Formats: sequence, structure tokens, C-alpha cells
Amino acid sequence: MLVRMLRLFGLTFSMSIRRVVAHRTNLVFDILLATFSLAGAVAAIQLVYTQTESLAGWSKSAMFVLVGTFQLMTGLRATFIDPNLSWFPDRIRDGRMDLYLLQPAPSLFLASLGTHAPLGLIQVGLGLGVVGLGLFERGTMPSAVGFLSWLVLLAVGVGVTWALGVFLACLAFWAPRLQLQVLYGAAWELARYPVDVYRRPLRLFLTCLFPMAVITTVPTAALMHEPNLGGVAATAIAGVAIILLAIGAWTLGVRRYTGATS
Amino acid sequence: MRRLARLVVLHVWRQVLAWSGSWWFLLTLVAGQAIAPLIGLFVWSEVFPGDPRVASYYVALLGVQIMTASYENHTFSEAIYDGNVTHDFVKPKPVVIGPIGENLAIRAWMTLIGLPLLLVVGFAMRTTYAGGAVVAALPALVGAAILRFLFTWVLALAAFWTERVHAVVGLGNVLVFLLGGSAAPVVFLPEPIRTFAEASPFRAMLGLPAEIATGSLTATQAVEGYAWQLGWIALFAMAAVVVWQAGVRRYTAVGA
Repeated sequence: MLVRMLRLFGLTFSMSIRRVVAHRTNLVFDILLATFSLAGAVAAIQLVYTQTESLAGWSKSAMFVLVGTFQLMTGLRATFIDPNLSWFPDRIRDGRMDLYLLQPAPSLFLASLGTHAPLGLIQVGLGLGVVGLGLFERGTMPSAVGFLSWLVLLAVGVGVTWALGVFLACLAFWAPRLQLQVLYGAAWELARYPVDVYRRPLRLFLTCLFPMAVITTVPTAALMHEPNLGGVAATAIAGVAIILLAIGAWTLGVRRYTGATS
Repeated sequence: MRRLARLVVLHVWRQVLAWSGSWWFLLTLVAGQAIAPLIGLFVWSEVFPGDPRVASYYVALLGVQIMTASYENHTFSEAIYDGNVTHDFVKPKPVVIGPIGENLAIRAWMTLIGLPLLLVVGFAMRTTYAGGAVVAALPALVGAAILRFLFTWVLALAAFWTERVHAVVGLGNVLVFLLGGSAAPVVFLPEPIRTFAEASPFRAMLGLPAEIATGSLTATQAVEGYAWQLGWIALFAMAAVVVWQAGVRRYTAVGA
């Protein structure tokens, strides 16, 4: 089953790339926008560090790594998650959800990973470049354990991002007019800075309830400082739990779904 | 002229009614506009803890951001893409009246919905403003609203040439964020970027009213700010006419 889904994922991704190649001008615009946005984010960090040496205990090099990690995760989200789950309530309202249920593959897979926007990978490449810039600015390379922890936590972050997208999509089964895409996009921006910058109630919210800390703060801290392996394992377990909860929520939601015309 | 004014009022009223059922979506739009000033507030309060000017500036900026929001790349550009703009071409009124009406209606709703957020953040951060400074900032707020509409409108007209209008407007928004006073108050920018930002249209459409309202400008600086703002409004109004004419010449309707 897993191999079949991976093959299906590969095929749909290959189709998406062929679609993108047919519109090359769009590629130029997307490269320009991604480069410009990232340059803006880096410039904003530079501005802050013209006035201070440390922001909530974060050095300039650590902030660059965080911004690069944020861009990387935003690129993965834009490539694999947003094309499927953004504006999902519309599909419940107009009955397009029926199509996922009628096809011979798990509905959650088709609805959440069935289409891709490969141009988002430009942001992933640029993000990796900024992570490299941050490490260069720091002067010393992170330990192998730190690097591995960063990779594991990035994978957890991708899983949590997918799960949050599924949760928001699932709300549409109960409240089809509830459109939270813009709100999610706004909350996502909070991951641009370490959660230590925010006041205590918001910091707790971003760590426990809406775990944006897992997207950038936790992986960057693991890469820049000696990682706490127990903490990494606990974050991974929590990430898996969130993913399982999202799958459960989807199953409940599909049971409730009756089609747009029934 | 009176007929045009009546048409604008009617369009605004129609759009206010049309958007009245979408209060939840409007709330998410307010959140989208509020996030950058709120992040700026947290970041710069961390850099200058205990400096009340930072909080006052960013709360004022939050208000300006919500009250001047423009979405012509979502509203009008989509009409170019799906061909619905042709309906407006054959009506005996300037096409721009429709987008102006929708813009003002969305802003009115966003201001109403964003007001509680402004009050909560303002009280939480214990911000204070001098009444005279707030009154002096009101014309700058109107100017910023006009300029931000014109700026977004000109960029949104790129839809006549490319289907990537959101990327074009996105590029413009990055400049507004960086040089307009959102990433950092213009006064914190290093030279020569600061001098450039002070004369740029981006500060005139975002940071200027907040700076005046917090009393951080001298009378001469405020007058200079107003002069730049008026100049940019005139320039973007001319650009809007030129780009509109070029776009309409290029436009071919679906099926034509």
C-alpha cells in the first residue's frame, strides 16, 4: 500500500513538473518573488542587528539559520501542502470532495497530497542557501548530532504542518463556510522569529496549542546548540501523535460528509 | 462630478452589503494585515525594552495597515482573468468606480472588525497619544489610503500582461514592508537607506501617519512628509491612467 502511494506521489509530482515547464514565464516571476521575499526577510534581520547584538538570546548567525529554515519549510508547504489543502472548504461546499472518495486510493492521500506546485521548491533551495550563510557567519560547523537532529526535527515540522493543514480542512466537514486559510497564513508568519521573542501567553500558544515553535525555533536551536536528544525524541513523538490525530479527525469528518447534493 | 460621487457612494453601499455576510473572512483579512505590525511590535520591544515610543508607533501602524488595506490584485485582476471586466467596459461609467467602491467597503468592514484588536493591543501595551498629534495625522492617513490604493491598482493592472499578478503585487508589498516602516520604524534605518525611505512612496503609504500620530516628527519633518506624499499621489495617479490605457489597448476578451 505504502509503495503504491509513493509511486502515485511520484507520478503526480512528475505531472506537476511537466505542467510547470509549459509556463516558463511563471518560473521567472516565482524565482523573482522568492528571491526578493527572502532578501527582504534577511534585510529585516540585518536591520534589527544594527541596533542590538542579541535578540531574545539569539545571535545574528542563529537568526539567519532560523530565517533559512523558515524559508525552507515555507517552500515545502507551498510545494506539497498548500496546493491541496488551501481553500479546501470550497471542495466540500461544491461537492468536489466526491471525486476523492470515488477513486481507488485513500481519500486523505488524494485530498492532501494529490497535487503539487514544484515552483515552491525554489524557496527550499534559497532557504538552504541562507542556512549556509548563517553557518558561515557563525564560523564553526555544527556537530553531526546537531545536524541530524535538525533534519529529524525538520521532518517532524513538515509532518506537523501537514497535520495542521488537515485539521483546518477537517473543520469544513462541520462548518463548511469557515475559511481559515488566510488566518493560517498569518499565524505561519509568527514562525519567522524565535518564539522567545513573543510574550509568555503567545509563546505558550505557539509551543503547545498551535506548534509553530516546531517549524523553526526547535530545529534551529538543535542545529546551533548541542541538541538535547531526549527533547528531540519527545518532539518527534509529539509530532507523530499530532499526525495520528489529524488522520483520526479526517476519518471522523469523512463519516459525516454526505456530498453536496445529498 | 456629483454624478460620479453618487455612483461611488452607491457602489460603496452595495459592496458593504455584499461583504456583510463574510465577516469571518474579513476577520481573517484583518489578522493577515495585523501580523506584520504585531511581529514588529514584539521584535522592537525586545530590542528597546521599556521604550513606550516603540509600542505607540506599532499600534498606530497596526491601525494604518488595517485601514489602508488594498486587495485589487484579488478583486479586480480576477475580473480581467475571467473576462468579467468586459461587463464594466460597456457600462456608462468609469470602470475604476467599481474597484474603488469595493476597496472602501472592505476597508470600512476591516476597520470595524479590527477596532477591538487595536483597543486590546493599545491597552495591553499602555500606549498614549497626544490629541493634537492624532488630528495632525488624519490627513496623512487619508493620503496613505489613497496612495496604497493607487499603488496596488497600478500593480494589479499587470494582469493585462501576465497571469502572475499576485507575484507582482507581492514584490511591491516586500518593498512596503521593508521601507514603509513595518520591518523597522524608518528612524531606525541606517543611512543612506533612511534618507531614501523617507522620500519613498512606501513610507508615505504606511509609516508616515503612524510617525505623526506618535509625535516623533518635528513640524518641518511632517510638512516634508506631506509634500512627498502629495507628490507620490500625483505621480501614481498619472501612472494609473497611463497603465490603464495601455492595458485596455492590449486586452482581448475571452472568445474574441
